[in-house]
Amino acid sequence: MNHRIFLYSIGVAALMAAVPAVAETPAKSDATFSAPKTPWGDPDIQGTWTSDDTWGVPFERPKNFGTRATLTEDELKARAKTVQNSEEFVESGGTNHSPALAEIQAKEKGETAPAPQGRFGRGVDSAPVPGHWGEFARRASHQTSQVVDPPDGRLPPLTPEAQAALDAKMKIRREPIPASYTNWSYYDRCITRGVAGSILPVIYGNGLEIVQTPGYVAIRYEMVHDVRIIPTDGRPHISSNIKSYMGDAVGHWEGKTLVVETTNLLGGRMAVGVNGDGGAPYSDDMKLTERFTRVSANTVNYELIVDDPKTYTATWKVAFPITHEPGYQLFEYACHEGNMAMHNMLNAARLDDAKKAAEPAK
Amino acid sequence: MLMGAMKHFLFPAAVCAAFLMAALPSPGQTAAAAGAKIPRMTDGKPNLSGLWQAIGTADWDIEDHSSAAGPFFQLGAIGAIPPGQGIVEGGEIPYLPAALEQKKKNEANRWKDDPEVKCYMPGVPRAAYLPYPFQIVQSQKDILLAYEYATTNRLINMGKPQEAATDTWMGTSNGHWEKDTLVVDVTGFNGMAWFDRAGDFASDGLHVVERYTPVDANTISYEATIEDKATFSKPWKISLFLYRNRDKSARLLEFKCVEYAEQLLYGDLVRKGSK
Repeated sequence: MNHRIFLYSIGVAALMAAVPAVAETPAKSDATFSAPKTPWGDPDIQGTWTSDDTWGVPFERPKNFGTRATLTEDELKARAKTVQNSEEFVESGGTNHSPALAEIQAKEKGETAPAPQGRFGRGVDSAPVPGHWGEFARRASHQTSQVVDPPDGRLPPLTPEAQAALDAKMKIRREPIPASYTNWSYYDRCITRGVAGSILPVIYGNGLEIVQTPGYVAIRYEMVHDVRIIPTDGRPHISSNIKSYMGDAVGHWEGKTLVVETTNLLGGRMAVGVNGDGGAPYSDDMKLTERFTRVSANTVNYELIVDDPKTYTATWKVAFPITHEPGYQLFEYACHEGNMAMHNMLNAARLDDAKKAAEPAK
Repeated sequence: MLMGAMKHFLFPAAVCAAFLMAALPSPGQTAAAAGAKIPRMTDGKPNLSGLWQAIGTADWDIEDHSSAAGPFFQLGAIGAIPPGQGIVEGGEIPYLPAALEQKKKNEANRWKDDPEVKCYMPGVPRAAYLPYPFQIVQSQKDILLAYEYATTNRLINMGKPQEAATDTWMGTSNGHWEKDTLVVDVTGFNGMAWFDRAGDFASDGLHVVERYTPVDANTISYEATIEDKATFSKPWKISLFLYRNRDKSARLLEFKCVEYAEQLLYGDLVRKGSK
């Protein structure tokens, strides 16, 4: 289990303590629902969707659930209560726990700051976060984990090479005084969150918008203003010499399901997990297969199969619904343009360097 | 439907064509003939979907300009600025005096201050004539413009016009059709984007009205009216053509330029000896 995902799931338990509606998740196909079609005859999955309803569902399944994929009614009630509390917290504009702020406050009192807890790591995540930034589920999910295959909901073991690459990455991420912007994740640097990272639910900005035209499906992701344009006319992938962060996606319709296969990914940099940094860096050879199936007016079932034998010893699958959220609108997320955090963190790091250099040798 | 109509009217059309064309040549008829070649959506509206790009050097300077040396001699001829004929109607941008001074300052500091150097979003109308392609994905409702440069994208709302909720780089776009012209009204700019690498700019009071008119299946006439009382003495207009990339294998590729600008932006804050 990787660091960020671990923090994330613990944080969810700590932070989200209750319950609006309960979702029919994993969303079942409504027998009476007839999927809408575009005027040119493709299934119509257009509109604004979010993965917010999976907020609070651990990425990997806590071991005590074993192979049980859904919560019991009592567990679901407990999670719904957590969701309710989370909504109240966000709506009331409360300020989330911030290790950076706690450290400053402790210092002022001459105390030692408590060890950082919860989902907040380093970098932008450690800054004080106003409550209204936060997203929350509108319906409590039945799922015990986002990972649904292998059956225990846990990632397959890494290959030795991938484990070594993960260890090397974490060493860089945890350097006490970062040397360069390259110490931070591709997300912190506002480059991208990758294919999976762009849809897995996080603290905010989980919206995506699907636009279709004959022969194409386009997906815009709010955070870091990413966009993918997926041809559905049966054309092959582009040359494997052209690699990119979001890869080359080609799609086709299987009944009412959009199937998207992505290859040509830049290996050795991003990971599949949260914000494109959770987990071991994937390889150039990774193939992602996504399935989007509209099962009701307000729900599209999403599935992602990760196939990367150089990184994972088996394929694995994530599945959750993306849903319509009334009033949700995508706004321009000018991440890099407003990335003062990077400037400030590096500036602080160089001040730390100078301070260290001025200390008498011990 | 169309085929049926054609079959039905084939004979009279053939008979009348010579007579009509000779006797009553009219702009309307020419437009109708050209219009038949424009790809259309099922509702009859032009379908602008496809991969488009401007030809020319407008991104270097939207006004007429001579060729010039670039800032880095190491790049030789590759780094030089190519000459170009401007896209501004009337030749010159009607700057207010103080704004003209600012433009000159911008130009003097272009290699440092141009948002494109920093991989910032290009704004409108600059996005249309960047030296990168963009793809239009036109649905039966809204229209997505996805630009290769910096993965910038914007959605044109074709429904009830919405007021800009906040100021942004790319503004808030509300579109409607005037016959075969897509008219896009763009407001809510943050005033940080430039029009080109020559420092042409506007304030956050910028209001752009873009007009996309397909002139044939592979060409769009692009016009933009630019209005900003804080910067210009009167509204002015640019016009250029957008050309379809007809290569069968052509795809919008990924140009995430942030990592090519980081050393420029943060290099002085990187520990010496580190990358």
